[in-house]
Amino acid sequence: MQTTGPGTATLVKDPATTAADAEAADATMAASGDGRAFERLYRAHVARIHSLVRRMLDADEADDLTQDIFVRAWDKLHTFRGEAAFGTWLHRLAVNVILARRKRVAVDRGRRASDPEALETVSGRRETPEMTVDFEEAIGRLPDGARQVFILHDVAGYRHEEIADLLGVAPGTSKSQLHHARTALRKRLK
Amino acid sequence: MDTWTDRLSEYLDDTLAGSERAALDAHLAGCAACRATLDELRRVVARARGLEDRPPAADLWPGIAERIGVSPDVVSLSARRRARRIALSVPQLIAAGIALVLVGGTAVRLALPRVPRAAVAFDGARPGSATVVSWAGPAISASDSAVLELRAALAIGRSSGQIDAATVRVLEQSLMTIDSAVTQARRALDTDPNSLYLHQHLAETLRRKSQFLRRATTLVSART
Repeated sequence: MQTTGPGTATLVKDPATTAADAEAADATMAASGDGRAFERLYRAHVARIHSLVRRMLDADEADDLTQDIFVRAWDKLHTFRGEAAFGTWLHRLAVNVILARRKRVAVDRGRRASDPEALETVSGRRETPEMTVDFEEAIGRLPDGARQVFILHDVAGYRHEEIADLLGVAPGTSKSQLHHARTALRKRLK
Repeated sequence: MDTWTDRLSEYLDDTLAGSERAALDAHLAGCAACRATLDELRRVVARARGLEDRPPAADLWPGIAERIGVSPDVVSLSARRRARRIALSVPQLIAAGIALVLVGGTAVRLALPRVPRAAVAFDGARPGSATVVSWAGPAISASDSAVLELRAALAIGRSSGQIDAATVRVLEQSLMTIDSAVTQARRALDTDPNSLYLHQHLAETLRRKSQFLRRATTLVSART
């Protein structure tokens, strides 16, 4: 809402607020079984959700898990109360689905969950102007813990307390992982 | 690398305690290496925030639609009639109608003036330059026609016994409630004709009313 001076406010909602109202309406309609309303929500958010999955997991899993997330969202729409924006609600749901998926595959893969060499691998490949800059690829090479925290904090905008809650770690651990991730990535941008 | 290096991310995020921040400020003033590292970390954060989201290479909607049991296709009303395809049940339609009104009613109440008229501003429009009639008239007429079409279908269904009286009653009630939402939005616009939000809200309410009417008519036609 715009302000015109102390104590006054216009009645003109900004486009983002209007879009949020329309999304809340679509979410309500979708919760009552309206597939088209849900498709509109899908179209509006699929790029963000797919990118989140691609960054936090491997690209070859992104399509399947994105589908899983939207199917889960459809099933859970009745729990959307409109207290937050629909996009926020969906993103949080997506993070939970992704983290659950990561837990399932972590044991199988034995990935670089706490492998210090992985950080060296990321930071050791310096980026030059001649190279195609692939920052996302560098993020993908981070150890799991640092990668999760970096994406959630610096890309998605979560706070350390929220990340700690999502990952089941202390906020201090989240801060430490974030610093390790940034330090590893900074040399790519030198 | 010194004892402060590991605190640079917290400094950047402004999560250090006041005294620590002041101490690090003092350190940065005399440490070129830490200043350089801080600049690099700042670039990493900026780069992360600037990452663009990309949609999947293939449209995932058909697969999702199949899994949740809705049609992935955009089907015209006439095609729906031919196919006798029913997208929503009557209770779902009623729920959707009521939900529309609840959302719409709340939005209008939120937008109604709570400040003196003199305090209301509307960028880019002259007072009285936009009226409900000037743009919404055709949409309202179209929705009135759609209401007539639905009522005709309801009358046929009721007389033939294929639609029970209770269903007719709840659909009529839903229509009345939706009309009330439209009226509410129009009244709000009479009070504040320059509100862009109210104009958008009325347009959206009319669009959703039209959508509801189309679905209700399709459903009723499929039963008769």
